[in-house]
Amino acid sequence: MSKHEFHPLVKQLLDGDITLADLPPELRAEGDEALRLLAAVDRSPVQLSAVSEHVMQAIAQRPVGSVWRRVMQPRELRLRIRPWLLAPALAIAAALIVFLRTAPTAAPASLVTVRFVLVAPEAHEVSLAGTFNQWDAHATPLIRSGPTGVWTATLTLPAGQHQYAFVVDGVRWVPDPGAPAVDDGFGRRNSVLTL
Amino acid sequence: MRRETQVTDGDIVRAVLAGDRERYAQLVERYRDRYARYAARMLGSVDAAEDAVQDAFVRAFDQLAQCKDPNKFVGWFFLILRNRCFAERRRSRAEASLEAADSVAAADRTDGGAETAERRRALQLALLALTPDQREVFVLKHVEGLSYGEIAERLSTSIPSLKMRMHRAYDKLREELREHT
Amino acid sequence: MIIALLTLPLSLLGMQQTGGGGIAARLAGRVSPEVAALVEELGTAASARGLPVDPLIQKAIEGSAKGVPSARVTAAVRLVVMQLDTAAVALREGGVVTDTLVIAAGEFAITAGLSGHDITALARTGASAQALTVGLRVAGTLSAMGVPPAENIELISTKLRSGQPASDLLLLPARVQAEVARGVTPAQAAAGLERAAAAQSRRGPPPGHGTPPPHPPAPPHP
Repeated sequence: MSKHEFHPLVKQLLDGDITLADLPPELRAEGDEALRLLAAVDRSPVQLSAVSEHVMQAIAQRPVGSVWRRVMQPRELRLRIRPWLLAPALAIAAALIVFLRTAPTAAPASLVTVRFVLVAPEAHEVSLAGTFNQWDAHATPLIRSGPTGVWTATLTLPAGQHQYAFVVDGVRWVPDPGAPAVDDGFGRRNSVLTL
Repeated sequence: MRRETQVTDGDIVRAVLAGDRERYAQLVERYRDRYARYAARMLGSVDAAEDAVQDAFVRAFDQLAQCKDPNKFVGWFFLILRNRCFAERRRSRAEASLEAADSVAAADRTDGGAETAERRRALQLALLALTPDQREVFVLKHVEGLSYGEIAERLSTSIPSLKMRMHRAYDKLREELREHT
Repeated sequence: MIIALLTLPLSLLGMQQTGGGGIAARLAGRVSPEVAALVEELGTAASARGLPVDPLIQKAIEGSAKGVPSARVTAAVRLVVMQLDTAAVALREGGVVTDTLVIAAGEFAITAGLSGHDITALARTGASAQALTVGLRVAGTLSAMGVPPAENIELISTKLRSGQPASDLLLLPARVQAEVARGVTPAQAAAGLERAAAAQSRRGPPPGHGTPPPHPPAPPHP
């Protein structure tokens, strides 16, 4: 036993299981030393007031969460499944996405069918507006399936870059939380779809 | 529609995932300082703690969809912060010494004399000589005031293995304090 | 599972329609007359400089659809023109004979947080205009996902130089996303993918596994 080791009874004292008075007289000095050690513990609070601002700045540019796991828990989350998510979510995505590419590369003539899904239990009306429908908030309504608040629309889009947002109840423009987003130039965010 | 008077973590997590990212600030406010002390004692300085807590909140945001039970956000967040603290590379002893002295000096103005400050500084330095596992169990029990049972639950481990870690920590701390005082 | 299949006619998809004459027609009834007049003026000048006009038209329509005041719409359209010019200059600097699709992709990359310098770096890979267009779109997408410029440009450059098909580039966001879901940062994910791509192009035939980026243990649930 090294000379630095506390006696097992002193360790019980440090753990708070016994008191100094419970120690035999020959261990009192070691017990005192142990308690001085605990007395030096710094329990003063630490405040990090700048963290909130820094965190919010850092996340302003980031996509919310990760998408594909949401497929497992559609009741809690919104999701839209993109073809490029096929790899990690093969089993699920294969059932939902239909590829209609007419060529193996992203030639302008290629078409890709994409299913958009949004979980919004309290919404009365949801639609999709973006570069593919001239940002028309009424052109592409999502359809609600059952009582769970899952809204879906399936579109066939040309390969390329698309920006879009969901329009909830005709007034709220909501970016897709599962997709990357960029500033829209008007103080909001547009989701990005790269096919 | 019935509304809860107290907004739960789960409510906020769901709102953020639904696109209302500004509400994440509420979670940050709620838990920022509560875990700042743990990070500061684990890492040996308030500056390092600030970086760690900030990174952990950003990482939690990135992975929010993987928080299986949004109502248990805080337990899940703690584990992210813990990973971050464990991953921090051991800094040089001289660097840690200066930082520990600084953080204690700042705290000390309010509640103690030079002797207390010196003891605190020495203990904080000795803590940095422990393994992260040992340091963590010491911090959770003696700084945060959790019982072995609570720590075991939080870290998904057994009480006997925690006690073994802690008892090694006591011995190591004694050795360090004797050598450096 | 599929509830609605709405196949949009291609004519509605609004792909690159250029020329001043088309601008007024496309904006008619969608934006205020003052916005339409300004976009036509800016678009005609942009077109004369070899810039695409579709991004201007889209931004004007978007702003009006979102109910944004005219002054703010025109400011946003002007910003798009500036970014198109920046992208075009950056591409020329990289030795690329500019085509409107590449410039529009460059403008998107700038919106997503990349710089003219980044665009020049990608242009210097010598990739075809088509591959570069996809590369810029994917780089912008990765930027929007939180991948920092250095790792982003390194990854896309390596991919473009390897001469792999454009469809391979399009898989990158999913791969970054999958790595991030495992607990790494977007920067680490991109760096890991870049190392794997570089190793693969050195070795020739693809290895069994790329080098996964390092990641901490997944946080268990308490």
